[in-house]
Amino acid sequence: MSFTLYNYVLSGNCYKVRLMASLLKVSYEAVSVDFHPGKAHKQEPLLKLNPAGTLPVLVTADHEILTETQAMLVWLAQQYDVDNTWWPAHNQPQITGIMQWLAFASRLSATVGELRLHTMLNKPLDAAPTRAGAIKALRELESHLTEQRIHGHPWLAGSSPTIADIACFPYTALSPDANIEHDNYPAIRSWLHAVRCLDGFITMPGIFELHTLRNPAGADASPLSDTVA
Amino acid sequence: MTSHPVGLSGNLAPRQVMRATINQFDIAVWRSESGIISAWDNRCPHRGMRLSHGFVRGESLACAYHGWHYNCEGFCHYIPAHPELTPPKTVRPVIYSVIERHGLIWINPTAEARAHELPDNLIPLRTLTFECDENTALHAMSSTAQHAGESFEPGDTLSESPRIITVNTPAIANGIIIAFHQCAPHNVIAHVLVQNTLSSAAQIDVSRWLESVRRHAEANVSEYL
Ligand SMILES: N[C@@H](CCC(=O)N[C@@H](CS)C(=O)NCC(=O)O)C(=O)O
Ligand code: FES
Repeated sequence: MSFTLYNYVLSGNCYKVRLMASLLKVSYEAVSVDFHPGKAHKQEPLLKLNPAGTLPVLVTADHEILTETQAMLVWLAQQYDVDNTWWPAHNQPQITGIMQWLAFASRLSATVGELRLHTMLNKPLDAAPTRAGAIKALRELESHLTEQRIHGHPWLAGSSPTIADIACFPYTALSPDANIEHDNYPAIRSWLHAVRCLDGFITMPGIFELHTLRNPAGADASPLSDTVA
Repeated sequence: MTSHPVGLSGNLAPRQVMRATINQFDIAVWRSESGIISAWDNRCPHRGMRLSHGFVRGESLACAYHGWHYNCEGFCHYIPAHPELTPPKTVRPVIYSVIERHGLIWINPTAEARAHELPDNLIPLRTLTFECDENTALHAMSSTAQHAGESFEPGDTLSESPRIITVNTPAIANGIIIAFHQCAPHNVIAHVLVQNTLSSAAQIDVSRWLESVRRHAEANVSEYL
């Protein structure tokens, strides 16, 4: 196996890495961790791997341990992106732009992500400033995507998708879980749609697949049919 | 009721769905794969799920809940749990009148939709939501300019309801058109259109100018934003 991912299915940060691996068509071993309610990530043996007590944790075949998702995206692209488009190391200006949005992705986790845990799992939190921070971050993203479109670039850091788009996708797409709908963010809506259309796109609970694109014959039921039948 | 500009055509690509609000009307707006736009009451006739959560499949909108498919005329033609069934013609959401003109989507929930006449040489720039009312947003335009020591000239009012105005910010651009759509008491959407000769750099300046207007307009609304 190429690597091991300590994973929790409802975590946006874990999904980020699963999505990137799927887009790069890499297979790996996923170990599911009882994040809720078991809090296994706050106990041994997980703490030995990642003293920060967060998920996901990625362990390479050489036993290198990665605990930051943005670094995992870089590592995945360096290892498996044969065309060097997701992390175009040779293109310095583009790399600078990508770094900008990788760092921004941490703000999305700290605002939208935290508010989502508060809303869904009652994580204790001062909701008002977190919500304001989430809206501020989403507005910055909306404005940047608008400016990119004026420049003729549909993606966050250039004319093709990069790891920056994947880093920012999960918590932006999941903001309705934190009671922030996408209605007021038209450029974000179009960008989310474009990410969903990528070859190899996978979903997580809360982020739906565009069945229409994958299955135009339309024989099967709605995206939610498994969970509500 | 008059027709309201609810969004930019360019922000609703084929296969996309959006939600619009006009007073008490909650509306799902969607564009089929071939480009046909529809505006419906945002309630699935089956169990009331918001249709704006649905998915476009070719020329149909599929509800996110149980996957009932509605064609561009609104008729339900496919129920996944009963594929052999031909649904009755009565299974149909309330349909609203919608047209597209000047790069804007206009909806009228109670009558035939019509667009207000605007100059022809415009391109739609972006839509911004303000968390305040229309007058506060308008007032913030002149106060933002004052604050920055820039000149600002309110231009003409092209329409009172919905409010459509021209403004000039000589340092950035002239002949900017702003079409407001007040969708809730403390929620107003501003659609910005600019002259089609404006450079990309100036378009970005206009976009950033409106963001500072929004910061001013909302300054008294939330201590956090
Ligand atoms: N620095 C990490 C943060 C990951 C993170 O916060 N993960 C969440 C789950 S989505 C977590 O483990 N939260 C538990 C905690 O922060 O105690 C990254 O971005 O990779
Ligand atoms: S509520 Fe829409 S299909 Fe059931």
